[in-house]
Amino acid sequence: MSHDPAIVASGPREAVDGHRVLQRAVGFGRALRKAGLAVDLSSEIDFARALGIVDIGDRELVRAAGAAVFTRRRDDRPVYDRVFDHYWRRPSLQPNLEGPGAEQRPEAVPADQGVPQEAPLSGDERSDLPDDRGGMPIPTDGDADEDELAPDVVTISPDAYSHSETIRHRDFDRMTAQELRDAERLVDLLEPRLELRRTRRYELHRHGRRLASRQMFRRNLATGGEVLEWVWRRHVRRPRPLVVLCDISGSMERHSRLLLRFIQALSASSAVKTESFVFGTRLTRVTRIMKDRNRDRALAKVADAVTDWAGGTRIGESFRDFNHRWARRTLRTSGVVIVVSDGWDRGDPRLVELETARLRRNCHRLVWLNPLAGTPGYQPLAAGMRAAYPYIDDFLAAGTVASLERLGEILAGGRGADTRRGSEAAAHVAPSPDAIRTFAPPPKVVRTPQDPFAARPLE
Amino acid sequence: MLPALTSTDAITEAFRELGYIADRSIATAVFLGLQLGRPLLLEGEAGVGKTELAKVLASSLGTRLIRLQCYEGLDVNTAVYEWNYPRQMLEIRLLEARGQADHATAHNIFGAEFLIKRPLLQALEGGADGEPPVLLIDEIDRADEEFEAYLLEILSDFQVTVPEIGTIRAERPPRVILTSNRTREVHDALKRRCLYHWIDYPSAAKEFEIVQARVPGAPEMLARAVVAFIHRLREADLTKVPGIAETLDWAAALMALGAAELTPEVVDETLGVVLKYEEDIRQVRGETVKAYLAEAAAGR
Repeated sequence: MSHDPAIVASGPREAVDGHRVLQRAVGFGRALRKAGLAVDLSSEIDFARALGIVDIGDRELVRAAGAAVFTRRRDDRPVYDRVFDHYWRRPSLQPNLEGPGAEQRPEAVPADQGVPQEAPLSGDERSDLPDDRGGMPIPTDGDADEDELAPDVVTISPDAYSHSETIRHRDFDRMTAQELRDAERLVDLLEPRLELRRTRRYELHRHGRRLASRQMFRRNLATGGEVLEWVWRRHVRRPRPLVVLCDISGSMERHSRLLLRFIQALSASSAVKTESFVFGTRLTRVTRIMKDRNRDRALAKVADAVTDWAGGTRIGESFRDFNHRWARRTLRTSGVVIVVSDGWDRGDPRLVELETARLRRNCHRLVWLNPLAGTPGYQPLAAGMRAAYPYIDDFLAAGTVASLERLGEILAGGRGADTRRGSEAAAHVAPSPDAIRTFAPPPKVVRTPQDPFAARPLE
Repeated sequence: MLPALTSTDAITEAFRELGYIADRSIATAVFLGLQLGRPLLLEGEAGVGKTELAKVLASSLGTRLIRLQCYEGLDVNTAVYEWNYPRQMLEIRLLEARGQADHATAHNIFGAEFLIKRPLLQALEGGADGEPPVLLIDEIDRADEEFEAYLLEILSDFQVTVPEIGTIRAERPPRVILTSNRTREVHDALKRRCLYHWIDYPSAAKEFEIVQARVPGAPEMLARAVVAFIHRLREADLTKVPGIAETLDWAAALMALGAAELTPEVVDETLGVVLKYEEDIRQVRGETVKAYLAEAAAGR
């Protein structure tokens, strides 16, 4: 690590000043940490060093320097800016600047300001913090496009805490031991079966089909290049990542508990990478919350993070949001997308169709779990469901443990799937064959010709 | 004589000379990276000039640019070093033929002259003049996590251990730029070792400057119209909105076609330069193009 000339050169006179600068840098870092940024001591030290070499008189320069040091992702920036404006206010507003106890200042500042405690930051980025929600309150009534800038920051509006809402949360985040066991059993069933993707990395393996020439040369150097030992390699295989989009709108309320438990058990498993989102009228990413080891707390946090519990559904808009903001980041290695929804949609069916098609193009396989599909005589007639139906690879009933077991079969995909997919496997695994239905293709089947998996019948 | 990059303004100026219009926050991030000896992680949409920044930095420092393009499965053998096994074999055969193949020579075939240096090792070794090079680790998000973990060691200590030779340490650490298109989140441990900057799309005024710097001879009217149209497109609901690279390509394409101004017909014909998804082109072509052009005309 090179030494910065500006700091090395600074004499003892600067050193006194340097101490104060460090203190303020640490204080600023602390304020950022309170607001949910992942700040560590080394970045605070970096910031102190940065203050030594940029023109401190130039506010925007200091802001840019702090941004380079403290932010780690684009979504950190709006939070950073707000804390920056709070912490580095004009001296006239900051009377205690020189005073003792500078370390306490960041906590004290907002209180002095009298900013109402209405909107603590929440959301998955923030949930890594201890349950200290009363920390630095940042006004979140920012500009309209804040969502664009900070997808991980979820604003909780005060009226989200109405009485009835609270009751709903309570319903939802309590779970019987039986249900819990069921969800876990499911994942145990699922794990060894997940569909594998061949990665570009190789491992040495006796039954590999390619020669590992490097290792072979190496091992045979002792005999002067006479090849006595053959070394083989093969591609490393990993489970495909899963992306779960779970509908939590009013019509899904009865089912969302079990399904969220299931997603949670998946997220806790280390064998597969799972990204999870919930949507009603808007999409919320809950991946990090779902990874919480305390499962009840995690579900409570999901309940907190979501503003549109048990409201209407906008499948099209939510999918569009996913396609635009998250698809490239979460589906890069061609994952499997699982949508959990009953397809009741208040929005424009054409948008649902467009965005489902887009989603289908971006993933390896699109699985749709519909709790209603288990009822006898079900047809995908809801407008949203009908629009999305042609693009779905696998359409399954959901809502009962039995039907979710069938999901395990689907996710096992290519590996021996053809036999499992047969009636024998279905009879063996799924207790009620009625749980899975296939339909005659709807009138307008749009199928990508190059894709052999599109809308394949299940039975 | 190269200008010394000793302040934010000096960097802005030096970059401008080379046709890279940097705003102050980018210049500050670069400046801090140089001063603190930290790698700089640049994120942003495709085509906002992340890779270009590294190139410009190398030429304004007057040093070599060493580029490592990442991809899934990138391993130590292609990124850091590899033994030249065929040469080692030949050497052994040669020694055998001469009857000199004793224990001592067998040891020598793992010497530096049989080592093939890949980009990361080259970057640690520095140039002939002792100036540390600029190391560009491009599209780190395309590499897999195994490689990212390996990078951690190199970026924090600037040293590589080759078991047969020992530890190779950089006398003066290279200036490191990492870029990511954010097709996945780069691991936090790696981010912790870096300074971070998100490059946004530039303002219309700045993009106009960039067009002027990069497409010399573009008529001002045309350049302004192109920039205004691109900015309108970025607000639209498209699968992939155009980056600066597309703006520049488009301006160059329009000049090559001899178009003096943007008409709906010209835009429709050249839309493929700007939009790279068929559904986007279908959505914009025709009426929407006319509407956007009318809007731009009204705005001016």
